[in-house]
Amino acid sequence: MTGEGVLGNGRECGEDAAAYVLGALEPPEAETFRRHLAGCTACQKEVAELEQVTGSLADASIRYQVPRELRRRVLHEVRATPKAQASRPAWSWSPRIAWVVTGAAAAIVVIAIVLVIALGSGGSGTRTIHASTGSAELQIADGRADLIVHRLPALPAGRIYEMWVQRGNATPTPTGTLFAVTSSGTAAVGVPGGVSGVSAVMVTQEPAGGTPAPTTAPVIVARVT
Amino acid sequence: MRFRPGAMRNLADEELMQLVHDGDVRAFEVVFDRHATPAFSLAYRMCGRRAAAEDIVQEAFLSLWRSSRGYDPARGSVRTWVLSVVHNRAIDALRRQGSRDSRDVPDDGIAERLSAPDRTDAEAERRDDARRVRTALDELPPEQRRVIELAYFGGFTHTQIAEMLDLPPGTVKGRMRLGLTKMRNVLGEVMV
Repeated sequence: MTGEGVLGNGRECGEDAAAYVLGALEPPEAETFRRHLAGCTACQKEVAELEQVTGSLADASIRYQVPRELRRRVLHEVRATPKAQASRPAWSWSPRIAWVVTGAAAAIVVIAIVLVIALGSGGSGTRTIHASTGSAELQIADGRADLIVHRLPALPAGRIYEMWVQRGNATPTPTGTLFAVTSSGTAAVGVPGGVSGVSAVMVTQEPAGGTPAPTTAPVIVARVT
Repeated sequence: MRFRPGAMRNLADEELMQLVHDGDVRAFEVVFDRHATPAFSLAYRMCGRRAAAEDIVQEAFLSLWRSSRGYDPARGSVRTWVLSVVHNRAIDALRRQGSRDSRDVPDDGIAERLSAPDRTDAEAERRDDARRVRTALDELPPEQRRVIELAYFGGFTHTQIAEMLDLPPGTVKGRMRLGLTKMRNVLGEVMV
């Protein structure tokens, strides 16, 4: 991990804080800075202060009327997308675990938790996987699926977990589900559309608004076989 | 617990989010009505196109609905979270665009400027705060304001800005830092 004061290539770390909060660093620079940020209290303080400014900029735009059609469309979509149900009865499950550690000296250790669902996407129940630094459950019932994670690392400012689904061996597609974990590392999110026809549910760490394609290795892979 | 329709509008965002977690569409509707205007305004300011701004706002709010249990109040307000998602999605959209000419100035002939009076004290207060932020930005030295606007509202990276303005990248970063720090010092209590 890079220490406080110097980032890389001899640059002082504070030079990048403003560009970072403005979203103006090139992607590789942003990644380097994020890793540095996890261990640099001076940059954490500066970023927190400057993010208040960018937050106020977001709210300071000249106001435009929200189109009525947009409101109607969003509410229609919400009513057509019922929330996933709460947890259901579980049964014993012996998962196969794979650990993948990427990013040399990265502050955020990327650990892939691989969960294999043996009964197929049409089955129901809860499968749980436990690892030393985190655990995940995929709950399936009536065509709906929920992914519950525990003890995953909280991400630095500007980063968020994003969920993907994979069909067959095709490129993973975004579900539109973005989430942060609580201070205890927990989150529970529905898998939009359930897991019918889905071969795997994945979670990656991405920029706060999410991305159309994964930019990092998955931290969770729940295979539905 | 059930709320009368009018009573729900008096709830704080954090209370509404609890109801949204439970799948309460009416609570979501209140959250949407409370934050959609700044969200759409930001997206439209950044994209300059109504259709693109609508897509960004729609996706942002749908992700709030789908991922509401992942919302953590300790990491910021609902409004901050929504605007952050909108900003990041708008940057992605801008960077996917081949041509950037069409997004320099919002087309006022298409989107309708909001002229309705503030309905609540909180809205009036927010509008005053927004005015102060715009004033603080306007009062920056032009070279600092320019790089901040190009980065935040234009979605350009510092190297793109350096090329556009024919400046060393370090100078661009330096101006960003000076400008934001100055705004931080000027605004102070607005940013809570």
